[in-house]
Amino acid sequence: MLRLLATIKKEWLLLLRDRTGLSLLFVMPVVLITVMALIEDAPFRDYQELKFDVLTLDNDHGRLGKYIREGLEYTGQFNVIDSLNGKPVQESQALEKVNAGDYKICIIIPQGATGSIVSNANRIVNDLSKRMGVPAILPVSTRKDSLNVLVYFDPASKKAFKSAIHQAIDNFLTQVETDLLLERIKQQLKNKDIAQQDSMVIQLKAVGLKEQLTGPSQQLDVISNSVQHNVPAWSIFAMFFIAIPIGGHMIREREEGSLVRIRLIPGSFLDILGGKMLFFMAVTVVQFYLMMMVGIFLLPMFGLPKLMLGNSQLATFIIAVSIGLTATAYGILVGTVFKTPNQALNFGAISIVILSAIGGIWIPLEVMPAKMQLIGHLSPLSWGLDAINDIYLRNRGVQHIWLHVGKLIACAVLMLCIAAGVEQRRMS
Amino acid sequence: MTSILVQDLHKTYKGALEPSLKGLSFSFQKGMITGLLGPNGAGKTTTISILCGLVSADSGLVKIFDLPQTAAHREEIKKLVGIVPQQIALFPQLTAIENLEYFGNLYGLKGKPLRKLIDEYLQKFGLEQNGNKAVHRYSGGMKRRANIIASILHQPQLLILDEPTAGVDVQSRSMILQFLRDFNAQGASIVYTSHLLDEAQTICQEVAIIDEGKLIVQGTPANLIAQHAACQHLEDVFLHYTGHAVRD
Repeated sequence: MLRLLATIKKEWLLLLRDRTGLSLLFVMPVVLITVMALIEDAPFRDYQELKFDVLTLDNDHGRLGKYIREGLEYTGQFNVIDSLNGKPVQESQALEKVNAGDYKICIIIPQGATGSIVSNANRIVNDLSKRMGVPAILPVSTRKDSLNVLVYFDPASKKAFKSAIHQAIDNFLTQVETDLLLERIKQQLKNKDIAQQDSMVIQLKAVGLKEQLTGPSQQLDVISNSVQHNVPAWSIFAMFFIAIPIGGHMIREREEGSLVRIRLIPGSFLDILGGKMLFFMAVTVVQFYLMMMVGIFLLPMFGLPKLMLGNSQLATFIIAVSIGLTATAYGILVGTVFKTPNQALNFGAISIVILSAIGGIWIPLEVMPAKMQLIGHLSPLSWGLDAINDIYLRNRGVQHIWLHVGKLIACAVLMLCIAAGVEQRRMS
Repeated sequence: MTSILVQDLHKTYKGALEPSLKGLSFSFQKGMITGLLGPNGAGKTTTISILCGLVSADSGLVKIFDLPQTAAHREEIKKLVGIVPQQIALFPQLTAIENLEYFGNLYGLKGKPLRKLIDEYLQKFGLEQNGNKAVHRYSGGMKRRANIIASILHQPQLLILDEPTAGVDVQSRSMILQFLRDFNAQGASIVYTSHLLDEAQTICQEVAIIDEGKLIVQGTPANLIAQHAACQHLEDVFLHYTGHAVRD
């Protein structure tokens, strides 16, 4: 125990004297998380809180235009713009603005669109009436060509964004068509049976759609905010950066000869290794909680949402320790395999960036291609992030994170075994 | 009783073209200051590494105070032996006291007895005013002295020093050599390597000159000099046996 505690104290003193290492471990991650959360806030807000200006040309001046306008405004995500500089929007002008990226969308409702829908509804009702033996009395247009609501997108628009808009406008069209059809049916029935006119209610939407919570005391949409992704993700990234100082320390100890001196002292080397690992694991856990504090207290000061921590603090602590263990083991492996601090620094930094990129730290794994998702799930950083998402977003507890914890510990043990093998080979 | 017994030691490092040791044999009696001398590449460092258990020999026998240097006795031997490596095997960012406390703790020493021991040695080696200074701020001689203290905290019976006076000033050298004499007078055996043969001649009671992984000659400096009429110093004997060709 004395050897272990002495090693912890020694590592503590060495870290205190290494101001660059301290800033790398504590200051840089705070800056990184703050910057990344701010930068990625906009993409995360694309479909939630950001409002887009939609240029609208209503050549129809009928019910369809009104429905589309009201529907877009009702979502709260769009400002419907139908005039520029006090003048009605012209089609050529609108296309130019959208093409230049000044506006993301332009919707052009063709003249006669509502009339076309009314005529179609009348045709259906007349047809039904005929089949029921009732005279067909509703007027039908003789126009044969079909009309389209035209939608123009900024060429830089994302596919998902386009798809969402398409779906929304299609929904408005269906709604107008349905409403007009029902109106016509009612009108026809009214003509047939006056006595029933007041009591007749046609309700088409028997089943609705309602978003519900999957877990207790959790917010909807919390999963898709920038803070909720970036704080845990970049915290794990920063924790893995402990590999660089560990690797550097180990190589310097080897180069300076203090490792040889330690090996010449009687007693198990595991005490020394254990002390080193415990110390750096503690550093990573402190790092983790510091980053969580950033998410809870600092980021809201920049107008970002507050980090939600889920319900199981024990599970959070266990996963933080597990990530710290794996990160520390990685540092020991890097420090054992490489011969110079420069090699360890370069490899350590680049490998962590790669592991983080494929592990869903930069962007969530679910938006990556299927093959990359498969590869991404091999990254220890993704195991840590998955576990934290389970705790923070799905309100899961200790019993749900064991698989992730097991994978992290197994990975740490494997890396330590490889490091032991390399060291054994070097000594022999 | 021998402090060190080496018999027919062979060692070839992986990937090396030449063996480092080719049947090296020698022994030193307990309680003596002895020198293991040889030109660069003679096999001194390999021999010391095998003596202290850092490197395994391909074949041969090594005994420290009659204990074979095997895995079974390695821990016991570590308690008996202190090694002063050629490198300054200390943490440069820590002070001398922090270094010595750490290595003392690793030897199982702690508290006031350890602190008292550290203070005594710092005073003995003239570092009492600089104990709280980071080692990287030390001069070469101060580093060498602190390096020695870290190796003797556990009061070893055998002290092996690899070029302990390399690159130090005359005062530091004198202090180190005086310490070796004092430590030896307290009963410790000392094995010492150096390229400074006048120093070896002065301090060593017996020397073994090795070259190309084999023992060339062993004896007291006086006897070795006496055996060759043309030789007046140990350096002459050394050159007589190892030649004048420059070694890399």
